[in-house]
Amino acid sequence: MIYRMRHTTLYAYSRPVDLSSHILHLTPRTLPGQRVLAHALQPQPEPVRQSSGLDHFGNVVTRLFLEGAHDELEVAAEATVEVGFPPPPAAALTPPWEAVVRSAATEWQVAEFTYASAMAPADAAVGAYAGESFTPGRPVLAGLIDLTSRIKRDFKFRSGVTDLATPVSRVLADRVGVCQDFSHLMIAGLRALGLPARYVSGYLRTKPPPGVKRRIGADASHAWVGAWLGAEFGWVDFDPTNDLVVQDEHIVLAWGRDFADVSPMYGIILGGGAHTLKVGVDLEPL
Amino acid sequence: MMLDPTALDEMADGRGGLRPHWQELLGTLVGLGSEQLIERATMLDQFFAEEGVTALLPGTGPAAWRCDPVPLPIRPAEFAALEAGLAQRATLLDATLADLYGPQTLLEHGIIPPALVYPNHGFLRPCRSLPVAGQMQLYAADLIRGPDGEWRVLADRTNAPHGMAYALENRRALSKTIPEIFRARQLRRMRPFFDTWQADLQRIAPGGTGNPSLVLLSPGPRSAFWFEHVVLARELSCTLVEGGDLTARDGQVFLKTLGGLRKVDVVLRRHDGRSIDPLELDGGDGLATGIPGLLDAARQGALVIANAPGSDIAESPALAAFLPEIAAHLGVGPLTLPSVPTLWLGSPGALAQVMENPAQWLLRPALDGVAPPVPLAELAPALREVTLARAAANPCEYAASLAIAPSVAPCIGPGGFEPRPIVLRLFLVRDGEGWQALQGGLARALAPADALAGRLPRQAVAKDVWIASEDSGDIQGPSAFAVAALPIRRATGELPSRAADNFFWFGRYLERLEGAARLLRTTIMRLERASLSPREMAELRTLAACLKASHLIDEDAARGAGTPAFPRAILGMLRPEARIPTLAAQLGRMVELLRDRLTGEMYGAASHAIRDLQAALRAVPVGRGENPRALAQFSEALGDVLVFAAMVSGLAAENMVQGGGRLFLDLGRRLERARSITSELATLLDEPQAAAQPARLEPSLRLALELRDSVITYRSRYVTVLQAAPVLDLVLAEEGNPRGLAFQLLAMRDSLARLGDTEGSPLLAAVAAILAEARAMSAGTAAAARQSEAATRLPPRLDALHESLGELSDAVSRRWFALLPEARAVGGGLAADAAAVEGAAA
Repeated sequence: MIYRMRHTTLYAYSRPVDLSSHILHLTPRTLPGQRVLAHALQPQPEPVRQSSGLDHFGNVVTRLFLEGAHDELEVAAEATVEVGFPPPPAAALTPPWEAVVRSAATEWQVAEFTYASAMAPADAAVGAYAGESFTPGRPVLAGLIDLTSRIKRDFKFRSGVTDLATPVSRVLADRVGVCQDFSHLMIAGLRALGLPARYVSGYLRTKPPPGVKRRIGADASHAWVGAWLGAEFGWVDFDPTNDLVVQDEHIVLAWGRDFADVSPMYGIILGGGAHTLKVGVDLEPL
Repeated sequence: MMLDPTALDEMADGRGGLRPHWQELLGTLVGLGSEQLIERATMLDQFFAEEGVTALLPGTGPAAWRCDPVPLPIRPAEFAALEAGLAQRATLLDATLADLYGPQTLLEHGIIPPALVYPNHGFLRPCRSLPVAGQMQLYAADLIRGPDGEWRVLADRTNAPHGMAYALENRRALSKTIPEIFRARQLRRMRPFFDTWQADLQRIAPGGTGNPSLVLLSPGPRSAFWFEHVVLARELSCTLVEGGDLTARDGQVFLKTLGGLRKVDVVLRRHDGRSIDPLELDGGDGLATGIPGLLDAARQGALVIANAPGSDIAESPALAAFLPEIAAHLGVGPLTLPSVPTLWLGSPGALAQVMENPAQWLLRPALDGVAPPVPLAELAPALREVTLARAAANPCEYAASLAIAPSVAPCIGPGGFEPRPIVLRLFLVRDGEGWQALQGGLARALAPADALAGRLPRQAVAKDVWIASEDSGDIQGPSAFAVAALPIRRATGELPSRAADNFFWFGRYLERLEGAARLLRTTIMRLERASLSPREMAELRTLAACLKASHLIDEDAARGAGTPAFPRAILGMLRPEARIPTLAAQLGRMVELLRDRLTGEMYGAASHAIRDLQAALRAVPVGRGENPRALAQFSEALGDVLVFAAMVSGLAAENMVQGGGRLFLDLGRRLERARSITSELATLLDEPQAAAQPARLEPSLRLALELRDSVITYRSRYVTVLQAAPVLDLVLAEEGNPRGLAFQLLAMRDSLARLGDTEGSPLLAAVAAILAEARAMSAGTAAAARQSEAATRLPPRLDALHESLGELSDAVSRRWFALLPEARAVGGGLAADAAAVEGAAA
């Protein structure tokens, strides 16, 4: 599947900003299963300095520095991406989840995603919720598919109820949130069991395939969960907001321990007064 | 820390004799006698208190640094072995950091468990892409010597180790208070270490420029180690800066000075790495104290940060358990100076080993090198059980070190000599390819309540560390480092904008306090009289109005002038939260903020005087009951304020280079004084009935002269006749009256011109306009047929001048201090999810 993606972010300030710097995770990753055919990043006004490189997780990170007074900043990210992740193996073929826990502890690049992080902290209640899907000896993939479905079933998607500061314990108690909350909840739950889980930021196609109901979160940045099935099968992505195993409707921008590692656009401004933000996302199949 | 009978004695050899390197020293000390030694210990305490060697701001607590009169001598051969062993450890830890922030082969090959790195808050992922060469320029270690006579490392300090300034200060204090012990002894000097360090900071500067600009980045006076930062900045010729002084532009970092932006090449970091750049790191108060773009500049090689942010991961106590394997993997030979045997409880079998005999172990958080270790032997059984259960539940989060009894050395206690356990901190700095140790150190004598390691305690008994010089070859000079001839600089441009701002406000607060003191003394003088004449009563009411205009008392209190409630309102100004103590505290804070910009003499005198002043104010008896002495004592304390203000002027004239800070100090004072003249005069002349009855203005005119200290001048010119025009001329227009308005304006004009403002500049034009208006008011009154009536019409014009002076102050701030607005974070929300699609703030 080939998609054209367009993501615009516009900051408007009530007073001119003297100096600003921004850090962007807006370039899709190149992965087995995801090819970036074209990509462009257009900031307006032109920054005095733009630097980019790979971050610790292998994501492309871009930094923008603006110096002249400006009362607006628009960043348009465009890309053409071919995506097609292999279907997951049969659940019964995957190892028992306890074996995955054991091998994750010493697998140096995987172990990082077993530790609690600020936005996916260790929480006993969240761990217990996730634990219901992982009965002793259950193949890890069966548990993951079950947990993904349960989150979709048990939680109500509603925007505006939670924000970045809402802890997963609150989300669990209120059973309401958005894709980011569900992802953090699932990640925290898996890590509580010792299973590696990472936060994936990206997009979901805007219009669903023919005959399929419109997906949630399709007109915006989206987030889901990467989980590790052991050395043989590696990482597979799960979308708890839509109860999906990620295959060809998602494109991956970046991954990290939680949202804080991969925020699409984060900045520090000096001056500027109040500000408004407009975001537009479009992902169309070609 | 309990005294352990098996502990080795640094001084006695265990066979009834003294170790040879103690004999001479102990002979001198015993010769002084224990009474004398206890007295010297007290003198040492006084010395540190007076020098302001404290971790805290003046006035906030009495916790001065303490040093024991008995130094800790170390044999040169023994020190050489320690130096070599520590140099090897520094090399190893530096290579470990380079690997963990680089290729991570230590993780890949399973030498270090991932649990020691990834959950470590000190592991700063964005720093992985910094150029790795030279992660660490400075290293320190805390050592103890066990009963077997071997030194072992209890804690490695790889982040921003502290204590060198205290080591210098201990030596200086000891040589002043107990000079006898230094006679006939050659000690190695500590100075060469700082030369080497400075040369190293110059060497690592990008581009190898001949005269790189070095800054010491400090969290500022709120840091517990501010004293050390001030001393190090001075010793290393670094500019002492806070985050707000620096700004990243176009991939480079600059210091904001009066002369514009000046490029920074090397940052000596004393700031928490986690909050150093809020764009890329989200730790602590980075938004307020960090520099957005700092890491970007470091990443592209425009500046070097030493030690690199994130270097504290090598301080993790659990790492000690893996150092021998790390050394083998990285090709560093077997460690000649080992750690205290340490286990990481996440390792197989380690937990069981500790459970077997808990009393043998010190329990420590695996990743936090600052938290004090817990001696399991000293815990009550129930608490020990809880502690062990906690460790057993999360073994990966704990390490355990063998509880080795540290050696003891003699200290002076209340009853003379007493042995105390010793922890020794030594410091090494990179010297080209190798490492060089400070030829001395910081020993800490542990009191029973002191923890074994962890942060340098704020209150500790330190010991000077002595290494005897065997021959003159020991006294090393700095390594040769070519520096191009320096261009002569005389401009005021080098002064950081923040320092200029602080001087300006120091001047303003000082004048504000002085003005309040004059007004209050004048008022109290009248309150002390047994009975007041109608004229004096009128004066008192006018003074009350002035006090209210200066925000010293409120409306109600001002109306009470002449009633018994009024003296109580005056004494109420001494409440800790009231104006006078607040101003005194603000001044103390400014002196501390400016500490690195004042000569030692000036800092010492000023901080001392402020403390005395605060003590005098506190000593005024402001109880519930009437105390006839209270007002008099308050007045005396206010007299001290006036003496202090005069002293600062004198110190500034004698100790500060003309220009820069002194100009701003003066500018602030003149501006504040001009403002108080205008508001005071507006209040005094606000006598509408005087238009018809000129006599009603007399008390005001008399006070105008008295408050401006101009009574004698007036009398010498006009004898006893009080008229409005001559009074106003003296207060507003007379250029030679140092308490008059014209004098302040002319002085401001001179300061601005010296700062480089040329004629017609907005600031000079504003000063000229104010001066012209002041002259016009004076001349207009003189020309009026009815002077008193003309004078009573002046208050609105004086109020307008007061406003103009306020605007002038803002203009000075904008022109010179150009402080950037507060940094704020934007973004971070997921678009649709955060309901931010249209018009919502992130």
